[in-house]
Amino acid sequence: MNKKKKKVTAKDLILLSGIGLLAVWLIYQANAQTQYKWNWQVIPQYLLRFDEPSQRWVPGLILQGVFVTLRLSVWATVLALIIGTGMGLARISCGPLRRMMGASYVEIIRNIPVLVWIFIFYYFIGDRLLPGVGIDRILRESQGFTATLCSLLIAEPSRLSVFVSGTVALGVYEGAYITEIIRAGIQSIDKGQWEASSGLGFTRRQQLRFIIFPQALRRVMPPLAGQFISTIKDSAIVSVISIQELTFQGQELMAATFLTFEVWLTILAIYFLLCLFCSLFVERFELFLKKNAHPV
Amino acid sequence: MKIGNRLGKLLILSLLGFSIACMPSAATAENAQESVVEQVIQRGVLRVGMSTFVPWAMKDKTGKLIGFEIDVATRLAEDMGVNVEFVPTKWSGIIPALLTGKFDVIIGGMGILPSRNLKVNFTDPYDYTGMSIVASKKMSEGMKGIEAFNKTGITIAARLGSTAVTATKKYMPNAEIRLFDDEAQAYQEVINGRVHAVVGSAPTPAFQAIKYPEQLFLPIDGTFTREPIGFAVRKGDVDTLNYFNNWISYVSAEGWLKERKTYWFETKEWESQLQ
Repeated sequence: MNKKKKKVTAKDLILLSGIGLLAVWLIYQANAQTQYKWNWQVIPQYLLRFDEPSQRWVPGLILQGVFVTLRLSVWATVLALIIGTGMGLARISCGPLRRMMGASYVEIIRNIPVLVWIFIFYYFIGDRLLPGVGIDRILRESQGFTATLCSLLIAEPSRLSVFVSGTVALGVYEGAYITEIIRAGIQSIDKGQWEASSGLGFTRRQQLRFIIFPQALRRVMPPLAGQFISTIKDSAIVSVISIQELTFQGQELMAATFLTFEVWLTILAIYFLLCLFCSLFVERFELFLKKNAHPV
Repeated sequence: MKIGNRLGKLLILSLLGFSIACMPSAATAENAQESVVEQVIQRGVLRVGMSTFVPWAMKDKTGKLIGFEIDVATRLAEDMGVNVEFVPTKWSGIIPALLTGKFDVIIGGMGILPSRNLKVNFTDPYDYTGMSIVASKKMSEGMKGIEAFNKTGITIAARLGSTAVTATKKYMPNAEIRLFDDEAQAYQEVINGRVHAVVGSAPTPAFQAIKYPEQLFLPIDGTFTREPIGFAVRKGDVDTLNYFNNWISYVSAEGWLKERKTYWFETKEWESQLQ
């Protein structure tokens, strides 16, 4: 490491003030061109409000949307990880059929626009999933504990069907990218590692599990983190199939109150905080992996 | 040769995938034999597709849906002896959602249009609405009447897929139309002075003109079209259509529809529930 004290040079200052001036000018221009009556004081009640009848603080519309976005992102990520790991392993396996399956999956999903994919999935595939298994009816009629648990972890029974199709569509979509990340991570490990472990008498499965995967994990963490954050942001797209997540709630609110900019800016800030929190967490996790790595 | 072979396999596999995906849609036709009314009674829930549209349907600050359509649908479900479940849906995708069975009926201020009627069945009208126009003072100073806006170089904003678009194309064929997914965005454009005017269902244009007196004005008094509004249901379901039609004539004979309409469209008592 270079131990020279880092000094702020004149060039840095000029650059910084230039950027600052540009930002101020842009904000000024935006303000001058848009005649808009700002009305920020009504926004907090859509985040959190005091419910008179029950004498409790309850989440407002926007915060309810945040919860749906979180549930959606978490489930989609879990699904994408499962699919991605499975398909990633299939892509590097020795069997040609498995390799072809992995390749077809990645190529089909990666070469269609996510918006179109979500529409197609929702209208043609999505709502056959749950009724096909029969869970739909059971949950709709369920009451008490099952219903509460379901609405806490997934979605209210009445919205379950559309929520599941949104989550699966998103999970399958993100899974294609995770497949490639996993494949690249495993393939980036030096061939010598495979050969050495094979020489030590490990089976292929053991090689992968004890030698290759732990090393690959550290390499795939940064791109995986990017993909997780991407999932949170992409979850906004499912608003088109009327899942009541953050963007959808915001748009509904705008349609009802005409507070276009206040609502968009609030939503922007919430997405930013969610993603920032996520990336900070992953940074920590990477450090943890580095510390706990066994010296080879 | 080898590459061609691989590509061929890939194609076959993807075709297989798509055919599996499309197969279950054949099953919907069988389900449709029982009328929607029967299904609703069995299920105990009437699922209503709607979209936020002031003052037809909107969420109040507690997150509860309120509005003219909400009152209508709630009363309808009450009279059927079932619960009501609202499915907020984007306006541009509301007809495909009805056709693929995401809900039973659209009660969302949907204007009866011949072109729409080819895709869905409408009940008798339970309400009439009209298009009205609000213009930007900066862009269209001194323009009066609809004809003034029927010129090239004039830009009109409207909500995507709404009857406002049809009305604009008919009455102002020379003007350019800009479409927005939500009404709020269309009104924001006219307030910012980026379009000449917005066409929308009454009474929102007039309400906006009152809210922004410095930026907006009304080039005409009242409305320039008159449109029947009906419930939309999937095609060929005589039982359901008959039930809804008779329900509409029943509640309008009672005077209930008119009373609700006056409350939502002519008073602004409900405004305090919004903000």
